[in-house]
Amino acid sequence: MVAAMRIVIIGNGVAGMEAALAVRNREPSWDITLVSEESDHFFSRTALMWVFSGQMSHRDIEPLERDAYERLGFRRVRARAIGVDTERRQVSFAGGQEPVAYDRLLIASGSRPRPGPWPGSEARGVGHFVTLQDLDWYEREVHGGTSLAGGPPRPRLHATGRSSDSPYRFREVAAERRGRLAQQPAVIGGGLIGIEAVEVAVTAGLRPHFFIREEWFWPIALDPKEALWISDRMAQHGVEVHLEHEIEALDTDSDGNVVAVRTNRGRYPSDCVVIGIGVTPNTAWLAEAGIDLDDRGGIVVDEGLQTSVTDVFAAGDCASVRWFDGTRRPEQLWYTARDQGRVAGRRLLGDAPRYDRGTWYNSVKLMDIEYTTAGLVNWKLDGEENWFFEEKGRVRSTTRIVTQGGHVVGFNMLGRRWDHSVLTRWIEERRTLDWVLRHLNDAAFDTELVPRLRVRRA
Amino acid sequence: MDQQGQNGLLATYREGWRNRSVVGIAFSALLVSFYVVLYWEHKVHQHLGIAPLTAISEAAGLRNRWYLYGALYSVAMITGGIYYLRRHGNSRYNRFRITVNVAIQVALGFTLPFIMPLFGGQELYFSYFWPLKYDYLYPQTLADLPLYFALYTVVGSLLAAPVLAVLYGKRWYCSWVCGCGGLANTFGDPWRHLTSKSTKSWRFEQVSVHLVLFIAIATTFLIGLDSLIGAEHPTFHRIVVGEHWQDWSIKSFYGFTVGAILAGVIGTGLYPVFGPRVWCRNFCPMAAVLGWVQKIGRYRIKVKPGMCISCGNCSTYCEMGIDVRSYAQADESFTRASCVGCGMCAHMCPRGVLKLENTWDRSEDKERQKLSVVDF
Repeated sequence: MVAAMRIVIIGNGVAGMEAALAVRNREPSWDITLVSEESDHFFSRTALMWVFSGQMSHRDIEPLERDAYERLGFRRVRARAIGVDTERRQVSFAGGQEPVAYDRLLIASGSRPRPGPWPGSEARGVGHFVTLQDLDWYEREVHGGTSLAGGPPRPRLHATGRSSDSPYRFREVAAERRGRLAQQPAVIGGGLIGIEAVEVAVTAGLRPHFFIREEWFWPIALDPKEALWISDRMAQHGVEVHLEHEIEALDTDSDGNVVAVRTNRGRYPSDCVVIGIGVTPNTAWLAEAGIDLDDRGGIVVDEGLQTSVTDVFAAGDCASVRWFDGTRRPEQLWYTARDQGRVAGRRLLGDAPRYDRGTWYNSVKLMDIEYTTAGLVNWKLDGEENWFFEEKGRVRSTTRIVTQGGHVVGFNMLGRRWDHSVLTRWIEERRTLDWVLRHLNDAAFDTELVPRLRVRRA
Repeated sequence: MDQQGQNGLLATYREGWRNRSVVGIAFSALLVSFYVVLYWEHKVHQHLGIAPLTAISEAAGLRNRWYLYGALYSVAMITGGIYYLRRHGNSRYNRFRITVNVAIQVALGFTLPFIMPLFGGQELYFSYFWPLKYDYLYPQTLADLPLYFALYTVVGSLLAAPVLAVLYGKRWYCSWVCGCGGLANTFGDPWRHLTSKSTKSWRFEQVSVHLVLFIAIATTFLIGLDSLIGAEHPTFHRIVVGEHWQDWSIKSFYGFTVGAILAGVIGTGLYPVFGPRVWCRNFCPMAAVLGWVQKIGRYRIKVKPGMCISCGNCSTYCEMGIDVRSYAQADESFTRASCVGCGMCAHMCPRGVLKLENTWDRSEDKERQKLSVVDF
């Protein structure tokens, strides 16, 4: 029997909550404290877009019932952590809250949106779409407030202790200042947060501008043919897609409200701007803690997610972990945060598991087109070849299989559903393209009654 | 274009009539009043001197108020079906399922029973089976039915329905054939997110649905016994069946509480308050039987491992109140007794994590590490 430990977890996102659940599962009597500036309850950050449109309520995006903290005996601290004293083993908070002591600490403070580098990026009417407070701001700009299901409980509890640079601060709303809801939103940044911000604006009946710096949408994952299909789909839904636009400034009126986006190609009137140019580790508050950070701000961790300080661990978006290609950087994905949280939970319990990242995979829905990827796609490998097939019928899909040296190393699939666990297994088994094409439908995850994909060999 | 997932985003919580607002509750009150008049029009007539539904049916040439109800029911399903398909008809599963279900209601739930008496026959409902159509196994009913239909109902209720549920899950009935399920999935679709997902509501369902099943079996048994010994035991006969159909007896009590109150007034009248499957989830004895069978059969919802982002679209749009997300997060393929296989969890999932399937193969599930984030 191990002596009861005091566990403190900074962040109640998926990494923090998974770790807390893992600890509680085995140690009913340990003291577990979960710290969050943002919210009372663990919620799915990936689901903010559906709350915005009204497809789900705040309650719906919370995976646990609201009595979970009480039932599982988690102590809740709703405050902004501003520092860690690793000598005295305590965490301090903004707003005069008492510091909390720990025996083992997990930092799972996640990401924060990357701020816009252009003049006017902090103007009224400009924001992000990452935190609950961002959601609140964007809903006020476009809808004038929350859906009928209301907001999260105790939304302003942390407001006393907030600092002006917190990602969880409330922004001023240009629509309220003007007395008119946003009519022409603009979204900057051709990635996943960008397309979400665009899609919710479309659902609200607006025709947003979508500024993308690159030649085509999401070049890190798609090739030009694939991206063209997505862009066409966006255009059909009323999105003004602007490719190869470099932002120069966000113009404001005399009152400080945003009125236009200026790019290298023109000036586009806009009364609400969402900046979605990526996220960075939310670790600025650790500057004085003596915990090693890498040059991106990620917390350096070993194979078992321990930081440079004993008994202090990190998991999720804020941790710089080893990728499948050997490099070290944060993994900003839901399922890796979940897995890291589970590993960290076992570290907090005193076990010695390793975080072992397998073959890369992901999936997402781009407007109404489903996307699955696995392995090395768009990595520009030496001697790689791309086999591409486009299905044009009642079902529309694209299939791209990347090979290198005779065996398959990656899949990029649009329009159909695929079981990535089968695709990654084939990559690990070093299957040939011929073999994969013969067996491709073994990886199909289409809903019933959908005719199977029939590929024609070129 | 055929697609598998939700086309565009929904604005469910931004539409007042769908959310227990004044409009929603007023609509619910209207539905409840309709059912009260429908079931107890003779009482309404006694007290107020009017029989509105009978008057309308006669004016419309529909013979009696039950055919009027059948016609309104079909119109509600067609209208609701169009509403549903406009939102979710981009998926073949949804299109086929709703089309078949509406067609069965219009053909077997209304048209055929309406025209059969014109040819001198009884009105018979081919799309309902015992224990949902609880009187179809009463000995007296069976004796009065044409032989072919008596065989149809016995074989259908006791053999075909469970066998099909073993092979395809209870969805073959609850989401493709049944009129109650059909109304819920069409007319009731706007309120599907209102079904409670709480653990408490699950516990309630487990007790209530099996209680009704027990009462249904006991009532059928007692009425069967009555046909054997009722003549020699008048007191038993009076308690079980009664002298007159209006008398209080076990038979009429079941018809009143289960047939009228639970299936009609509460089950449908409260769609805009508690979601569309109140009857199917909590009270339907046929759903209880098929649920047991489903647990030992082929049907399941397969979960793609490690892909769930816990967004909750599946749970939100589950009309049976199943917390689908808890299984998806745990990478656990599953079969729940209450699942009617409407397919909306898989349809709403933005990552294609869920798939309805019929298979005996459970081998890959065992290999998976069971790491639950919810169950303790």
